[in-house]
Amino acid sequence: MIKSEEYDVLVIGGGISGAEASINLANQGFKVLIVEKDLSVGGKMIHLSKVFPTLDCSACITTPKISQTARHPNITIYTYSQVNDIEKKSEHNFQAIVTRYPRYVKEEDCTGCQICEEKCPVVVNDQYQYDLVGRKAVYVPFSIANPRVAAIDIENCSFCGACEKACPSEAIDFSQEKIDIQINVKSVVIATGFRLFDPLLIPRYGFGKYKNVITAMQMERQLVPTRPFNHVLRPKDGKMPDKIAYVLCAGSRDETIGNPICSQVCCMYSVKQAQLLMGALPLADITIYYLNIRSFGKGFNEFYQQAKDMGVNFIKGKIGKITETDNGNLLLRYEDIIEGVVKEAKHDLVVLSVGILANQGISSMFKDTLELDPFNYIKQSDELANPAKTTIRGVYVAGTASGPMDIPDSILSAGAASAEIAGYLRLRR
Amino acid sequence: MAKINPDFAKEIFKYGNTDFQACYNCGNCTAVCSLSDEHNSFPRKMVRASVLGLEKNIQSSLDPWLCYYCGECSTTCPRGANPGELMMSLRRYLTASYDWTGLSKKFYTSKISELIAIFIFSALILVLFIFYHGPMDTTLTEQGGVKLNTFAPWKTIEIGDWIMAGLLSFFLITNVFNMFLKVIIKDKTVKIPLKLYFTELWKLIFHFATQWQFRKCNTKDDKPSDVKKTLTYWIMHWLLMSSYITLFTMIVGFLWWFQTDEIHNWWHPQRLLGYYSTLGLTIGIIYFSINRIKKDIEKSKFSHYTDWTFLVLLFLTTISGILVHLFRINGMPYATYYMYVFHLMVLFPMLMIEVPFSKWSHLAYRPFSIYFNNLKIAARKEE
Repeated sequence: MIKSEEYDVLVIGGGISGAEASINLANQGFKVLIVEKDLSVGGKMIHLSKVFPTLDCSACITTPKISQTARHPNITIYTYSQVNDIEKKSEHNFQAIVTRYPRYVKEEDCTGCQICEEKCPVVVNDQYQYDLVGRKAVYVPFSIANPRVAAIDIENCSFCGACEKACPSEAIDFSQEKIDIQINVKSVVIATGFRLFDPLLIPRYGFGKYKNVITAMQMERQLVPTRPFNHVLRPKDGKMPDKIAYVLCAGSRDETIGNPICSQVCCMYSVKQAQLLMGALPLADITIYYLNIRSFGKGFNEFYQQAKDMGVNFIKGKIGKITETDNGNLLLRYEDIIEGVVKEAKHDLVVLSVGILANQGISSMFKDTLELDPFNYIKQSDELANPAKTTIRGVYVAGTASGPMDIPDSILSAGAASAEIAGYLRLRR
Repeated sequence: MAKINPDFAKEIFKYGNTDFQACYNCGNCTAVCSLSDEHNSFPRKMVRASVLGLEKNIQSSLDPWLCYYCGECSTTCPRGANPGELMMSLRRYLTASYDWTGLSKKFYTSKISELIAIFIFSALILVLFIFYHGPMDTTLTEQGGVKLNTFAPWKTIEIGDWIMAGLLSFFLITNVFNMFLKVIIKDKTVKIPLKLYFTELWKLIFHFATQWQFRKCNTKDDKPSDVKKTLTYWIMHWLLMSSYITLFTMIVGFLWWFQTDEIHNWWHPQRLLGYYSTLGLTIGIIYFSINRIKKDIEKSKFSHYTDWTFLVLLFLTTISGILVHLFRINGMPYATYYMYVFHLMVLFPMLMIEVPFSKWSHLAYRPFSIYFNNLKIAARKEE
């Protein structure tokens, strides 16, 4: 017999938008269920170092908010779970199936002591450090994860049982199975966020082939307080880089990879990282290769000017191709648009400022037709008057699920969504 | 002061299919191009000039001719602006702009004009044959071949050949001279010493004979399959070119030796050269047609109607030429005579239209552009 639960609002995605919308609704007395596909909540923001243009600590904003979400009496969080078959039975009546995948660790028993990690013999790439370092097959996702509970990566597990023996609270449970729960809710929020562009799709940039070509997210991880190396190092030989290049519009504004639109954040996060690198590596030269610097938000242009004043080089021109030369250094070929001349520049670390793309498979969670916009983001049916409305009445969208945007805009969007939902829910009362 | 033509884009659209106005000036095309260097930022310079409508700059530029269309810029253009196809369109546009008669522009921009021209040239040949053909002798030679030289004596045909060759040379040479005026004389930034015209001359001949520039379409980081594709294209192009030159030389210069009633042994140079050329043409035409139908390499993705006219006329000429030969050596007089007339009816318009006014004029413009470009480079070095 399938278990059945009832809530006011189902929030799909536990990133910053999902958390913001949930808190707003829970504070008004609505019962909220957050379904997060990952092992912990906090989305992408919890992994970032600083936010632009204020350079506030990103984790320091996210962690309290996530903590508040997790402890709120009106909020239930299901991590490592997925929603499917969302069906609108009638107005204010949605039915869905939530699948909770097994972590093979009892959430209520695990203390997050990480003794199992010490014993586990299997090492694989750590996806939370964006493959910069390794992790074990049994692992606490990352140090500020919420819930701070271990999980077993069953695909890589060797079933040696070492963790089971080592666990002081006997939390390891290999007999767990996935559970389907039927839920009834009155409204749904899509806060599924975005995915990062995979630079393997641009082979001429050599990502995956040349080790010293990394993504901006990998650089971001090297700049956070919980960074893997305690220093900025280039991957090939662990050298501290002293000539770093940023390649903007890697996967944005590019028809060849099917994403012709601007990602809205890459210019500014690159400028931010450049400023942080100026602090981390005071002797390094940093060059940003751009098409147009889009510093449109509050304080953005000043932030850009500040980077210029700090000595960051800005060169207008798209990088055509990257080739590896001596010692893993890289040769970047581009046309300097201001001078109209083809040039080649040598750098010892190249950071691809990857763009953001719509997450796939969102509309297939719904039995009704959830329309997408031409770029596969959730279509806002009434963008100006009710920005959170989708093509299904009662289903709302928050944050980057509706299009590329930065953190403040995502939070604003989540606020708008929660206000619209509250209105929708109160109509019934 | 630069003069701009605001309707330039509309004009270029007639010469090819390219959305060059989508360009947002990122410089990707120039950065991936294996031909661009610190002295020449192309193809973006041409894209920019086209967007702005700087007609004079384009007409005096050699850049479109130096590009051999590897297509890298088009496949990687983030705006899908297709700079490679713009360079192709500009080559067509330049062919038209060098031609002082204005016929080239007519043929490139109006299908009807081209068809009418083909029809007129064909009709001319037909009329000449109707009134002036020799006796249609059905008796065969001792070897069993058709007496073709009785029906169309090589001496008479040769006069026609020479008139045609004279016309072709006249138009082509004057057009090349026009090109010379536009790109060398009007370019006041560089003065070319007389001596250089002779010392650089070998490049003209070398590039005419080898199309060596194709080699530059490959870079060392290209995939082996791409390198192979470019190499195949070069070989096929060379095969077609050499076959055509061989046949043209035999027809215009040595007709007495080429058009005989005597049937030589198969190993006779006359037959060997004939077989090489017709085979080369056939293989070349099939290869280029398949490319244009399959559209799997960048440069064959778009076909202007003049590209097809050229291939079809060349194909008909080749096939009818082969048939004339087969009918003649197998003793089929009427078939030989009619096929011979048909052969000339496609050959004549093909040469008259394609060589001075259309696609085939690149046999002169391509090597001359490299020659002129090298003159400029050498002159700048001397300064």
